[in-house]
Amino acid sequence: MNRKRFVILALVLLFSIPSLAQTGTKKKRPLPYEYGRVVLNNNATKYEMAPVVFEHWIHRSKFTCRVCHVDVGFGMKAGATGIRAADIERGYYCGACHNGRTLQDGKPIFAACTNKKLTWDDQKRCDRCHSQGKRVPSDFDFITFTAPLPKERYGNGVDWEKSEEMGLIKPQKTLAGFTPKNPLVVQKDFDLNAKVEGMPDIIFSHKKHTVWNGCELCHPEIFMGVKKGNSHYSMVDISEGKSCGACHVTVAFPLTDCQRCHAKPVQP
Amino acid sequence: MNIVLRAKVVVCLLAGFVATGALHCVAQSGAQGASPPAAQAPAREVWQREFDRICSRTQEAMSFSEEELASLVQRCDALAPQIEKLDETRRKVYLGRLHMCRGLYAYVLESKRNQKK
Repeated sequence: MNRKRFVILALVLLFSIPSLAQTGTKKKRPLPYEYGRVVLNNNATKYEMAPVVFEHWIHRSKFTCRVCHVDVGFGMKAGATGIRAADIERGYYCGACHNGRTLQDGKPIFAACTNKKLTWDDQKRCDRCHSQGKRVPSDFDFITFTAPLPKERYGNGVDWEKSEEMGLIKPQKTLAGFTPKNPLVVQKDFDLNAKVEGMPDIIFSHKKHTVWNGCELCHPEIFMGVKKGNSHYSMVDISEGKSCGACHVTVAFPLTDCQRCHAKPVQP
Repeated sequence: MNIVLRAKVVVCLLAGFVATGALHCVAQSGAQGASPPAAQAPAREVWQREFDRICSRTQEAMSFSEEELASLVQRCDALAPQIEKLDETRRKVYLGRLHMCRGLYAYVLESKRNQKK
């Protein structure tokens, strides 16, 4: 009898191991309004504040990537910049816009937190960003904001590129006091060979990437090669966040949307 | 005579009121039309002007000669110690940005040199 129980227990354990391993590695696909969300907690919990929940979707609709990641100086990885409340208060990072004075769509952008003693109103304002685990009203509702925008299957469910082409969003390309005046030299688009038979080649829009990112955001930190064909990229590396994956697994349309890059018709 | 004097005082007071009100209105409309302080270009320090001159040219990097690129890299290296002396916030922001500019110029320079080989 005891032996029978032991065998059953051993079988149950044996079969449960692979299922446990699977649940450990499976990643939840973010919902459209969660895609691109970044939680920042460099110091927040140390000072008994909730971590900051940064919504990429609303910021990318108002500014090009370059403005924030080159001119304002935000890093490309959450927490890498080491932002402190004092930096923001001095008008840098979030404080470059969130200062209660800078206008967006004719309205002043709400000011970020200060280190001063907080009033009830200040506390409510702090909660707008320090919002993890809280239900905080926002000026922009994802469903309402994205309703008129052209749709995509993945990521935020929005074709941001087309939205800009149609004039439905107008991302700001400069920020006064931060962007050095520079004429934009638009680069030409080019093809990249997919190296897999039957797989359409990639049409890389250098033009779009230059306009949105500038040059120094990608070169040389993310893309080392200058001459076309000298660097080799694999989907494994990309899915681990290297090269295209620096943006296309986090904020820009994800890798599941194959046809957005592998877009060149296959020659018969 | 008293009545005339009183009338003069009243007129003066009214004129004062009107003038004060007008000045207030002008001041308010001026404030509304003005750019927000953050958007105003503050007086740039010497290091910052040099930073702007260097880093405003990244978009043209591919069109520069090797000499021009080498000079820009040198200017970045010369500027870095000045930024190192700033307060922690500005040091963090501008050293990061300078690193990106320098990286791009050095990278384009290297690729141009490699193409010649």
